[in-house]
Amino acid sequence: MKIKKPKLKLNIGKTGDFALIVTVILLSLFGIAMVFSASYYKALNDFDNASYFAIRQCFWVAAGYVLMYIFSKANYHVWKKFSKVIYIVVVILLALIFTPLGVSQNGATRWLLVPGTGFTIMPGEFAKFALIVCGATFLSVKKDRIRDLKDGLIPYFLLAIVLVALIWEQPNKSTALIVLATAVGIAFVAGLKKIYLILAAGGVALGLVIIALKGGYAASRIAAWLHPENDIQGEGWQVAQGLYALGSGGLFGRGIGNSVQKTLYMPEPQNDFILTIIGEEIGLIGLMVLLLVFLFLIYRGFMIAANAEDQLGTLLASGITGLIAIQLVLNVCVVTALIPNTGVMLPFISYGGNGTMVLLALMGILVNISKHQKENRLQE
Amino acid sequence: MGRKKIKKTSEYIMTQKRIRAVFIIFAVLTVLLCLRLANIQIVDSDYYTELAINQQTKDDLIEANRGSILDRNGKELAVSATSYNLYVDVNTLRKNIKSSEDEMYYDKLVNKLSKILKMKKSTIKKTIDNNPTGVVLAKGLSKAQKNKVRKIKENSITFSESKKRYYPNGNFASQLLGSVTEDNNGRSGLELEYDQYLSGLPGRWIKNTDNNGSELDSGTKEYYAAENGSNLVLTIDEVIQHYVENAIKKAMKTTESDKIMAIAMNPETAEVLAMAATPGFDPNNATKPSDEKEYNKFKKMSNKKQLDYLYKMWRNPLVNDTYEPGSTFKLITSSSSLESGVVNTTESFYCSNHIQVGGYTLHCAENKRHGDQLLRDAVANSCNTVHVQLALRLGAERFYDFISAYGFTSITGIDYPGEVSAQIQDEENLSKVSLATMGFGQGIAVTPIQLITAVCAIGNDGVIMQPRLVKALQDEDGNIIKEFKPKKLRRVISEETASEMCKIMAYEVQTGTGRKAAVAGYRVGGKTGTADQISSDGSYGKRQCTSFMCMAPMDDPKFALLVICDNPKEGSFGSTTAVPIAKEILENSLKYLEIEPVFSSNEKKENEDLNTKVPNITGKDLKKAKSMIEKKDLKYIVTGDKDKVVDQYPKAGTKVAKDSTVIIYTE
Repeated sequence: MKIKKPKLKLNIGKTGDFALIVTVILLSLFGIAMVFSASYYKALNDFDNASYFAIRQCFWVAAGYVLMYIFSKANYHVWKKFSKVIYIVVVILLALIFTPLGVSQNGATRWLLVPGTGFTIMPGEFAKFALIVCGATFLSVKKDRIRDLKDGLIPYFLLAIVLVALIWEQPNKSTALIVLATAVGIAFVAGLKKIYLILAAGGVALGLVIIALKGGYAASRIAAWLHPENDIQGEGWQVAQGLYALGSGGLFGRGIGNSVQKTLYMPEPQNDFILTIIGEEIGLIGLMVLLLVFLFLIYRGFMIAANAEDQLGTLLASGITGLIAIQLVLNVCVVTALIPNTGVMLPFISYGGNGTMVLLALMGILVNISKHQKENRLQE
Repeated sequence: MGRKKIKKTSEYIMTQKRIRAVFIIFAVLTVLLCLRLANIQIVDSDYYTELAINQQTKDDLIEANRGSILDRNGKELAVSATSYNLYVDVNTLRKNIKSSEDEMYYDKLVNKLSKILKMKKSTIKKTIDNNPTGVVLAKGLSKAQKNKVRKIKENSITFSESKKRYYPNGNFASQLLGSVTEDNNGRSGLELEYDQYLSGLPGRWIKNTDNNGSELDSGTKEYYAAENGSNLVLTIDEVIQHYVENAIKKAMKTTESDKIMAIAMNPETAEVLAMAATPGFDPNNATKPSDEKEYNKFKKMSNKKQLDYLYKMWRNPLVNDTYEPGSTFKLITSSSSLESGVVNTTESFYCSNHIQVGGYTLHCAENKRHGDQLLRDAVANSCNTVHVQLALRLGAERFYDFISAYGFTSITGIDYPGEVSAQIQDEENLSKVSLATMGFGQGIAVTPIQLITAVCAIGNDGVIMQPRLVKALQDEDGNIIKEFKPKKLRRVISEETASEMCKIMAYEVQTGTGRKAAVAGYRVGGKTGTADQISSDGSYGKRQCTSFMCMAPMDDPKFALLVICDNPKEGSFGSTTAVPIAKEILENSLKYLEIEPVFSSNEKKENEDLNTKVPNITGKDLKKAKSMIEKKDLKYIVTGDKDKVVDQYPKAGTKVAKDSTVIIYTE
């Protein structure tokens, strides 16, 4: 039998993937700049402080860098040991949301008040972390575990479904779907049989139809997605404003800082729709460069996954990279009105403490995995 | 090496393949998303940009200053004053209320506003509470009110300027001037006729704003200044207008007429010097009658009736309505007859008090028998039988040609909206008796402006002129932009006929029904008229119009005047109702126009006793000025509403007859 040589190769020293680190730092710094640009008018209007959001984002990115550094130093095998604890803690945190500690906003309870501090945390973001660590650990314990229905596939998805269900009920359907998609991604890389993939795809389609027919929150979002201009005062407002921003940006943009849509037309220009303000300011050219940078980051992530020294490293790196890729694609789909308006942040760029810090911490793990590359696992 | 190794290797290759597949999926998705972005940002860019610009730009109108209306000497009859609109930004106000430590903050603010704006507290609260974002709370505020509100230092309150029309003299030449709507558009009268010149062109201020409408520092800004309207310089003389209005207002009491109206005109140019009709209205408050009693009646009317009432009130009957001219029309009949040669000044007529025409018997007024008379006597006596003969001699065709040449078959084209033309019976089917009655001015209805314009042709050597109300257009600095020169229309009668008619008119005032119009020192000429009017039920006899058409001095007429009393109850002839009014106006106006008087020796002597000198009141305060004038046995009219006299007419030291009127200007 002829053995094919693997084509993906990566030669990285003991410092970790330098290109990856630089890309992440550049993206997050660009994020701070754009959060400031997008939010200062609103911040001045609401808080009399132009840098209200930018200062906070700075702080979170700095904290994220610290986490990233620490996690890049910690051997990634340590997560195998902690995976059960992490999973239990996250499930408890998710459950706590349904107690009075949960903080509601716009009809959804997604935050937990840390008693005595006034800080809020978003357990949903930690769930992404928990899913990747636990899923990768579970599937790398035994070879081809995912191909085993009873011992692999079913318990693996049960593990994921618990998280997904708890998040779904907040409700935070977008995060729930991202966690589920990440879980599927890890399973796929781990060797999931193709028949299940086909079944899963059918399930997703069926689910969408049911949501659309059932009505309610999700259904109104879908209607707003199909016709954003019809309901410009309601659900469609944000999407329509995003399209106006992108469209008026054109090929070259109005120039950094010159967005008009951010002057209270876009309700929260620093959040999920920040890409539209960026597009208004730096145009299609700028956005394409930004997407290329993201694609490069994803490429490095998957290279690290492909060349990891063991299956745990491969699955961890795949999960982390997949998470970023899924969020990126979903975010762009939302702001270009391709899918209904769900709350998906643009990785490293959108304003948000928990999301930014969790992502940067995951980047630390990825960097650590990149330090432990095997030239060719065939030689083992 | 062995099976295990191979298996491991193949698993590893599958993993690598799957990772590559995942990456390729994402890479393809990214490329597709780039295409989607390109679609939005290039293909649909214009569409979205337009929508974005629509919501981002605010197009503010900058009001143009409406031009003033001035009399022929530059006295202001209508001006635009700046007033202020008060806007409350309700969002900001709510924030202020919330952040204030004073629980009564809102109530205190409403209290203060209610005092300054003179609005009910409940109205203020209701207006603010019913508007989630912002609302114009009050319009038309004065500068003083604005400054008082500014002192409250409430940052949610802002002001915008707006222009308000102001008529300094109130109910004065009101039908003539007309009024404007709340948006400063001409509603009636000259304000409507010359709206396009007065209104100017509004400017625009296009600016980028945020979603709350606040202006952005960046972005497009285009400012187009407003082009202010032109001033209107009227042919009207404010002083003569005053004389006319005072005379007719006074006469409303003495004659108990339904309405009195008058026009004064310069026969040489057909420029209207004054035009007035009772009761008028206050154009500052044009949507209600200024009379208290009338207002109470008005309040009780239905909306439709109120509207009808207002339209009637705004109407200018001198241009918009017709009346049967009666004997004043004999001037047209006799001049036409002289011109066509069917009669000469030496022909003798005999009046037996009636004449037979087509089976009808037509009588002279009061069945008077005038006996032997020349043409001038027939005019002076207002003899119907002679004028019947003249009309019959002319025949329908020739008579109608003259009527047409005198301008009765078409509108005069005066620069005033809604002019109507005379109602004349059809020439084709005219019966003999109809032709005969037209000869003494019955069975034909003309507008007052038509009649005075026609008679002015007699005073202007037989040439009819285009009557006008506006002399020129001025820019805001007072430079003349456009001048309307006197316009000759056509010759109606020869110079000889015209001068003969002038003599006849003067003879009428010396000996005939217009005797009471004689003014010492001036040769006044005229013709009275009394005519039955068609009532609303179509019958004659219940309502009469008495009138007097006159000119002076008859050697070379400079001043023409038509006074019409509608349905007078005290005195039913022109000679007892319209003539005294005309005399008062003539006396004042001829002197004011500085037409040199020529006194007979008798008159001179009388004058010495009756004359008095006008005191110098300019610079005095109003009270003092009034008492000074009264001491000299003079009367006064006050123009403007200030307390200090800035000008007077006649000037100090002028010799005037006792009981004549001094005009006091306070602004």
